[in-house]
Amino acid sequence: MKRRLFVATSLATLGAAGCARVSNALNESPIHGFLTSAEKWNQAAIGTRGLAKLYADRDIDRDFRVNGNATPTDSAYGALAQNGFHSYTLIVDGAVDRPQHFTLPQLRAMPLQTQITRHDCVEGWSAIGKWRGVPLATILAMAQPKTDARFVIFHCLDTDEQGAKYYESLNLHQAAHPQTLLALDLNDKPLDTDHGAPVRLRIPTQLGYKSAKWVGRIELASTFKAVGNGAGGYWEDQGYEWYAGI
Amino acid sequence: MKTGERVYRHSIVARASHWLWTIAMLVLVMSGLQIFNAAPYLDASDKSDPAKRVLSIEGGTPTGASAPLGRTTLFGHTFTTTGILGYTSDGAGGQVARAFPGSITLPGYQSLADGRRWHFFFGWFLTLALFAYVIAGLIRKDIRELWLTKRDIAGLIPMQLYYLKLRKEPPPHGKYNPLQKVTYLVVLFAMMPLIVLSGLALSPGVDAIAGPLVSAFGGRQFARLWHFVFMSLFIVYFVTHMILVFATGAWNNVRSMVTGWYRLHDGDGVGV
Repeated sequence: MKRRLFVATSLATLGAAGCARVSNALNESPIHGFLTSAEKWNQAAIGTRGLAKLYADRDIDRDFRVNGNATPTDSAYGALAQNGFHSYTLIVDGAVDRPQHFTLPQLRAMPLQTQITRHDCVEGWSAIGKWRGVPLATILAMAQPKTDARFVIFHCLDTDEQGAKYYESLNLHQAAHPQTLLALDLNDKPLDTDHGAPVRLRIPTQLGYKSAKWVGRIELASTFKAVGNGAGGYWEDQGYEWYAGI
Repeated sequence: MKTGERVYRHSIVARASHWLWTIAMLVLVMSGLQIFNAAPYLDASDKSDPAKRVLSIEGGTPTGASAPLGRTTLFGHTFTTTGILGYTSDGAGGQVARAFPGSITLPGYQSLADGRRWHFFFGWFLTLALFAYVIAGLIRKDIRELWLTKRDIAGLIPMQLYYLKLRKEPPPHGKYNPLQKVTYLVVLFAMMPLIVLSGLALSPGVDAIAGPLVSAFGGRQFARLWHFVFMSLFIVYFVTHMILVFATGAWNNVRSMVTGWYRLHDGDGVGV
């Protein structure tokens, strides 16, 4: 009986190792490149349409989970945080007719939108927060994108342990969506450093990794190929989809 | 038609669809388990809420324990599942804290990004294969082989009694017996659409255009739970299907699903 158990266990282990090997080999085969074509179909079928669900005050997660990295360790960011972001300026440049820069008081003086929306993480969890900020469309209207501008690139103040800078990008349609915000507050308080202080992107129609934290510069460009590894974002450079509506 | 006679049983539409669905479901289940591993818990609520947690599969070394354990908690009951769930193979010969082992995920090693690529491609593949089957089936009238006739409805209970060995002979039926028809209809036209729809309900982009769909499943996290439940039901169907394929002549069944030709056994029916 013991021997039979041994044989069965050995076979199961071999089988399991074999399965993993086959699925790893499949994943590294040319098929994998072909799989990425589904992203285009997802974007065509779902895209950025409609409005994300709005929630009530009672639904808010008061202890909102931190997505991605916590407080950046960059010394420049540390210095900004030290003086309460008084010397922070948001730069808007690139393919625009009127480059802009904004201090935090200037951003807060603009008409702000408040939204209670759900943050859907690519990992599978979600949390609900109350966000207040400047609609990105307002900023874009002030900067006046040139006709060749197709993408809005968000350069962040965060560098990871491998030296890669966080960045993200949206097309103009996604950027102009009425719920796409440059958020300043979370749950009625200015963003803390874990949640992206002083300015983060908030785009509830896509997964959380698109909502870049610690935004320092917004660049309009005809392509995002020149930034990072060229896939349009920090996580996109690591194989995740640029279109994150699904 | 009599026992031993060879009949052309499965049309090209049925055969092609069958194997396309098989490939799609194999990839979807394996890549789905890979995706599950990134957040190995399921909550019966709209947002994540540990108070409404139905299932969690965790790995780690609890305080006081000498070695890492895999622990699965279902409806508040915790089971030690080291080596099977929670603390399992990393797909490269080692053991790590991960919910489902590398032997049943795609890829074998932990990669949410790659799992998603497989899952979405084959999500489209499955959906299009289902539509293609329905369209081709309607045009060629093959789909009629699944319709329940009056004779089938009358035969539902007798067929169940036959399976329970409370009746000697199956009731008269066509190619598929009444219970087969019901099963295939439910799998194709209820289970499959629910699997696809509950998966779509996880997407923030879909939420913005089809909010009622997400609400119908009880919210995003609840949809993730349903997606897992429907997958589990599919696995139950799949295992049952395998048992019955083997019990009724594996070679004959598989051959008929490849070449179309089937050798009739005692009690087999033909036609719709």
